[in-house]
Amino acid sequence: MSAVLLDRKVTQPEAADGDLVAMAVRGNPDAFAVLVERYDRAVYHLAFRTLHDVEEARDVTQEAFFKAFRSLRTFKPGAKFSTWIFAIAYHACCDRLNRRKRYSSEEMPERADAGPGPEQQAIALDEAKRLRAAIDALPEKYRTVITLYHLQGRQYEEIAQVLELPMGTVKTHLFRAKEQLRRLLSPSTELGVNSSKETEQ
Amino acid sequence: MMYRDDDALDRALFALPLEEPPADLRASILTSTVYRPAPAFSFWEITGLGVIAAVLVWLVALIAMGGGTLFVQTISAIASSLARPLSNVTTLAWLAAGAATAFWLTFFTGSQPFMLASQRVGQRAR
Repeated sequence: MSAVLLDRKVTQPEAADGDLVAMAVRGNPDAFAVLVERYDRAVYHLAFRTLHDVEEARDVTQEAFFKAFRSLRTFKPGAKFSTWIFAIAYHACCDRLNRRKRYSSEEMPERADAGPGPEQQAIALDEAKRLRAAIDALPEKYRTVITLYHLQGRQYEEIAQVLELPMGTVKTHLFRAKEQLRRLLSPSTELGVNSSKETEQ
Repeated sequence: MMYRDDDALDRALFALPLEEPPADLRASILTSTVYRPAPAFSFWEITGLGVIAAVLVWLVALIAMGGGTLFVQTISAIASSLARPLSNVTTLAWLAAGAATAFWLTFFTGSQPFMLASQRVGQRAR
């Protein structure tokens, strides 16, 4: 009887993340499934934007949820699940980036610069694609901040928690990222890696 | 399009669709977490089986090395060393005190360990 009630509660769309975590800890698999349903796309988005590799983004997403599932009991009741899962995913991304740096003799690309580059593509594409290409052209630290800003809204504190950076630094990164985005997207500026490199310098 | 102010850029950013994950990603996450098939034996069961297996191997080795005499001697030595503390009146008194306290505490916790299994099942069903 209680299990039925519990399941009905889980399927309610307004069930809070914290309640779902509590139910999952008590052994209700559907509660965790709802959390996966809510955040798998966002986590994948963060991983893909950071790593620019479908397979690695997929692995990181799976790894993040697996780690979260195994340490559900350590989740603090007052915390936000989204911040927690993003932080786990972000750390997994950092590990992979570090591994890439360690095993690659070539210099790590700090931004997407494969093929013709976002600059050439962006001109012909629609607005969303142009914006995405411009985000890809940002340096990694700005790209991550912008991606989290996109995922979490104006919740600077949560972005700071995920990145383990002071809030002031997050705001500065965000300000510079937006500044570069505006510049990259303005019709007069040539959109591309070189321009963003110069701005970075 | 120009993003002259912050709000226009914010609106464009928030309207940006998320990346489409691979089709089977959710299924593989769920399979590796909540819907992972339960292991055939729990940790304690595996530990118990391991201990039993180790004892059996030891007994077989004992019989193989020294024959029946060594086996009997070893078993009687172990039995006497286990029985020695129980022959001490003080130890028995402490054990009895502990058991009585545990039994008395069950009246407050409602666990009732001495209730018959059939009664317990009936109580749970109610």
